[in-house]
Amino acid sequence: MRHLFFLALLVAGFDLTGGAQQFATREAHISFLSETPVEDIKAESQEASAILDVATGGLAFQVPILSFHFPKALMEEHFNENYMESAKFPKASFRGTVMGWDPDGDAQQEVVAKGKLDMHGVSVAREVTGTMTRTTSGWMIGATFSVPCTDHDIDIPKVVSENIAEVIDVTLTATLLPR
Amino acid sequence: MKHVSFLRASVALVFAGFALASPLSAQDDLMDFFDEPTGPQVVTSAFKAGRIINVQSPETSGKGEMNFIIAHRFGRISDGAYALWGLDNAQMRMGLDYGLTDRLQVGVARSSFGKTLEVNAKWRFLEQKSGGGSPVSLTGYSVLMRDGMRFPEDGIGRLGIHRISYVHQVVVARKFSPEFSLALIPSLVHRNLVDQPARANDVGTLGAGFRYKLNNRLSVNGEYHYLLPRPIPDDPELRNSLSLGLDIETGGHVFQLHITNSRGMFERSFLSETAGRWQDGDLYFGFNINRVFQVGSRR
Repeated sequence: MRHLFFLALLVAGFDLTGGAQQFATREAHISFLSETPVEDIKAESQEASAILDVATGGLAFQVPILSFHFPKALMEEHFNENYMESAKFPKASFRGTVMGWDPDGDAQQEVVAKGKLDMHGVSVAREVTGTMTRTTSGWMIGATFSVPCTDHDIDIPKVVSENIAEVIDVTLTATLLPR
Repeated sequence: MKHVSFLRASVALVFAGFALASPLSAQDDLMDFFDEPTGPQVVTSAFKAGRIINVQSPETSGKGEMNFIIAHRFGRISDGAYALWGLDNAQMRMGLDYGLTDRLQVGVARSSFGKTLEVNAKWRFLEQKSGGGSPVSLTGYSVLMRDGMRFPEDGIGRLGIHRISYVHQVVVARKFSPEFSLALIPSLVHRNLVDQPARANDVGTLGAGFRYKLNNRLSVNGEYHYLLPRPIPDDPELRNSLSLGLDIETGGHVFQLHITNSRGMFERSFLSETAGRWQDGDLYFGFNINRVFQVGSRR
């Protein structure tokens, strides 16, 4: 009997630690909006990745720039070629830590993630406010934040300055499942 | 004793199990998650516009995009001050290209040169991909041209079919770096009727074109088309086409400025009927304006 008990504990030990500490997805949704009186430009990606480590509060997002799709093909070309220079800087990422949250809480929590937003080759320290919700199988994360183009050396020439906002609103939602 | 040692081993293993997933390695694990390889990625935007200068680039209109191209080609620079170095004397071509998909485009155009009407189709049937995909893109282009000039009253019985000519070509392109792209373009010209016995109905050319980006909005372009030996002895008047230009992009427009020894702006003319000589100053200044409208849905 004792053998069985310890075997069960052994299995449980591996399961607890290996199974449920990290939650991740490769299908997170990120959209952004550039709002000006002339036109609104919206783009979406369904190919962002996200990973959360419950033990440390470590949180990271990454999205391929080429995965953003626009209603107009020309916008997409300009976005990749002229502004984000996706051949040189193929990915944008956020790496940080979730502060002041309860990993065991059931209700939706307001949280702050403190870390670095790396985009267009420029890394900027950011504190992003968002929400985290425990689901039966994982975590749902949502956040809305602003990115000033100048923070990341994204140059918007005068000739198009009426069409493209200086500050871009970014929205992300991710459903993370055990890794 | 045996039981005790088994117990110890079990406890040790349980702790080892916890330790394996311990917070110490958590940050590294997070980064590992992103390192997993993704599939080959399509390489886009080898050129800014649908044409390098005269000849087709691998680019097509996106799905639902209408590209309106107004092109001007002025007279010979060597005509001098009297003709304002050719500017008094412009030919133009108006074209509409429409993207049926992101890789298949159809178009119509009218050139004042020879009152030529064209219908064309362009299909990028293979994409260049990074990370283990095709090293080049392959794009097929076919155009049917109809000469609209009145037939001369010389007693020769010409038919409507004699106005027609065709060009088929393949654009083999590679974007070597964000700045530099190169294309090889073999072409076949077929004319149903030629105006002189010394001209062949079928002419092959081997062309090459490049673009080099000076910055995100400005690039230098060039193209050259070598006339392959023909079955009928060479017409001494014909030259290889050589063009140099600049692409300037401003939001919704691409302006292309160039100097070329070809007068016509459709394929049959610049590939197989170029007569100007660079060394004699038989050069034409010209420009293309590409204006894109999204008229259909992308999805």
